[in-house]
Amino acid sequence: MLRTLAGATAALMLSTVALAAEPSGKLVLYTSQPNADAQQTVDAFVALYPDVEVEWFREGTTKVMAKLRAEFEAGAPQPDVLLIADMVTMEGLKAEGRLMPYTGADVSAYDPSLMDADGQYFSTKLITTGIMYNTNAPMVPTSYKDLLQPEMKDMLAMPSPLTSGAATIHMAAITADPALGWAYYEGLAAQGSNPQGGNGGTYKAIAGGEKLYGFMVDFLPIRGKAEGAPVAFVFPEEGVSAVTEPVAILSTARNPDAARAFVDFLVSVEGQELAADMGYLPAHPGVTPPAGFPPLDEIRLLDFDPARALAEDEANKMHFVEIFGG
Amino acid sequence: MRGLLRGGEGVPLVALSCLCLLLLAYPLGLLVKVGLGDGLGPVLDTLTSGPVMRALKNSVESALLSAALALVGGTLAALVLGLTDVRRKGAFTFLLLVPMMIPPHVTAIAWIQALGPSSPLLQSLGLAPPLGSTHPLYSREGVILLLGIQHAPLVFLLVLAALRSLPREMSDAARVSGAGPARMLRRVILPLLAPTLIAGYALAMVSALGNFGIPALLGIPARYTTLPVLIWQRLASFGPSVLSDMAVIAMLVALVAIAAVVLQMWLASRRRNALIGPPQPPLDIRLGRARPWVEAAMALAILATLVLPMTALVTSALVPTYGVSLSAATITLDNFAEILLRQSATLRAFANSTLIAALSAVTLAAMAVLVARYVAARDRRLRRIGKGIAMLGEMTYAIPGLVISVAFILAFIRPLPILGLSLYNTLWIILLAYLCAFFSVALKPVSSAYLQLDPALDEAAQVSGAGVARRMLRISLPLIAPAAASGAILVFLTAYNEVTVSALLWSSGHETIGTTIFNYEDGGYTTLASAMAAVTVVVTVLLMALLDRFGRGLPAGVVPWRI
Repeated sequence: MLRTLAGATAALMLSTVALAAEPSGKLVLYTSQPNADAQQTVDAFVALYPDVEVEWFREGTTKVMAKLRAEFEAGAPQPDVLLIADMVTMEGLKAEGRLMPYTGADVSAYDPSLMDADGQYFSTKLITTGIMYNTNAPMVPTSYKDLLQPEMKDMLAMPSPLTSGAATIHMAAITADPALGWAYYEGLAAQGSNPQGGNGGTYKAIAGGEKLYGFMVDFLPIRGKAEGAPVAFVFPEEGVSAVTEPVAILSTARNPDAARAFVDFLVSVEGQELAADMGYLPAHPGVTPPAGFPPLDEIRLLDFDPARALAEDEANKMHFVEIFGG
Repeated sequence: MRGLLRGGEGVPLVALSCLCLLLLAYPLGLLVKVGLGDGLGPVLDTLTSGPVMRALKNSVESALLSAALALVGGTLAALVLGLTDVRRKGAFTFLLLVPMMIPPHVTAIAWIQALGPSSPLLQSLGLAPPLGSTHPLYSREGVILLLGIQHAPLVFLLVLAALRSLPREMSDAARVSGAGPARMLRRVILPLLAPTLIAGYALAMVSALGNFGIPALLGIPARYTTLPVLIWQRLASFGPSVLSDMAVIAMLVALVAIAAVVLQMWLASRRRNALIGPPQPPLDIRLGRARPWVEAAMALAILATLVLPMTALVTSALVPTYGVSLSAATITLDNFAEILLRQSATLRAFANSTLIAALSAVTLAAMAVLVARYVAARDRRLRRIGKGIAMLGEMTYAIPGLVISVAFILAFIRPLPILGLSLYNTLWIILLAYLCAFFSVALKPVSSAYLQLDPALDEAAQVSGAGVARRMLRISLPLIAPAAASGAILVFLTAYNEVTVSALLWSSGHETIGTTIFNYEDGGYTTLASAMAAVTVVVTVLLMALLDRFGRGLPAGVVPWRI
């Protein structure tokens, strides 16, 4: 109770400060959003805060993190805000003391499991991983267990947890599920599946018909289907895992005011509507998901604990390599 | 030291050494420092771990075998065009060089599309593998084959340049003495070409060693991991130790490259031929009835290395989304309109890449001419300096581009001392990284040309009282111009579409072509990536045509396809 109160007071104070100084100056953003999305996000933010000039760098999460690691090493991290990948990565940065808490953000509407309890990172959307299939395939899978059927042998494709953050989280969520566990991944290996590369490559393998079924992030097949590609996406019965593209302020931020305004914008209803416009599932329950997605309350999420996933990350990957080879 | 500096060598030697130290040794040194950050123990643990040893074996194996493939393919093509009477030599030469302009990962994607179960080509022939079957290129052999094809133009250009500066008298003498083409090739041409063949093999091998695009796309599904791919996988774990892991594996790649180059230098020193003449028109050995067959074989090679991937590329650039088959109902130019008219970043990327690729080509060719002089010098101390610089260049070329870009962040994130200027987030840091990464590409052809140059020429001029500048300008330069030009063109083509060196160094306003294509691909916009890659090839062909126009005033042999 006392902690909540203290938190609330701090939040109140911080928000007063934020209101007092209208943010301005240069804001440096590192993001793993696709180019067009990043541009759209920045444009919408600048329209609200015309005094802020946003400089941004966009790459895949691996490269953004490599750049950031090099900047840490050189003692000169550049960005004020990060908008990348997943909670596990953020959890790692938090553990190293690289993030600045912002307890003033209004996240009351959100599922608390999507936000860091200490206000160090904030989920901005749900990119779920479920099952994609090629519509020329003879079967339509409805659960993860379906992929273990003999008819699907050698027909599976999936991104590798050694390359893709979403796949890492998917593996952590499934193997932590008592009904599936590591036995499920062993079953996938016995099916001749061969996890490789990222989601883009897997999407192409299934859309191009090299393989017919596999794990995939939701928006690629949903968007592809709308454009006429022979693909479809299934939210499996057991539930989906999700990467949430969290936003965080670096402890070394040079423009924390603008950074806080950026966080506020992303978790606001307008910011969430923007995410829905881009074709992503918004994390805010009050915002209507884009066409092709079921309503948020009908989507079942697999249980997921980012701190545990971080602690077990290396062991999980080792286990994966044992099952599938390096 | 006084002796070393006599004859006017002093100033250029010191200036050049400083420049090379800053560009090559400083970033490498920072990597070593990061790698050794936690002491020697963790380094040994990393190096002896199972995955690293496996990747090392795969890297060495794929580099050795693919370079052999590139050597045979590239040399054969160069011999046909340089020695025989096939028609349309200029066009053939030009078309054989075009595949180099397509970024390796795009080539890999195109081949995957062309030979996979969903290939429109194979489907129309009824030869497509059944849906769901594993792609034939996802294998060790697939990686080696595509690396070989990717690097054959490197060897081709090197050998072609060397053929043009072989003294005509030797082959004429052989022919007059009644030697048939086969005998002349075996006894005269090939022995004279030996230093170039060795250099070509080494260049193809080191290129394969540092290649990321092809093993990433073909090797990962086959679980055939090479060292650059392993570095990528380590980076993808995001933990605090990724940089030192990456640096240690990169040092291993550098060591393999050094081993290859030491071997090359040893071989080259045993096969040194001091013979070079001014660039000559190619020989015209009559092929007689075999000519149409040889021409058909060349056309087939172009079909396989250029037309096939280009067709796949254009096909996926013309459909609204990947997986839709191309037909009159689905064809669209939207992707081209999007990249050329709506996205300002793409046009900027073309301007940026053209500018910095051209600048690095010219700068590196000039540096190569100076350094190669030392590599081939008679004075042992000068030669040591030359070889030391060459060795550094070899390491920075073999180290995967992504690692080079990390080193450049470490080196240049802070403002430059004295000047107070910051290069970080500008185009110039990418230019410097190109100079570092591709130095070896420019140096290889020039130093093999210098090794063929008779030092007596230079010494005679020196005795007659000519200074360094005059000797370079009047004696060496005309003789090695074709080699320097092939070096510059190779650098331009390599830099024009590289993806990894600029991957971490670009910033908004300072995009490069390679990163833009990769970003589209990575974000799931395959059709936009294909459109951009197709436009890149067209633009490069236009640039080369411009060079062709412009090249009329240049000495013979400088523009390689002007035969």
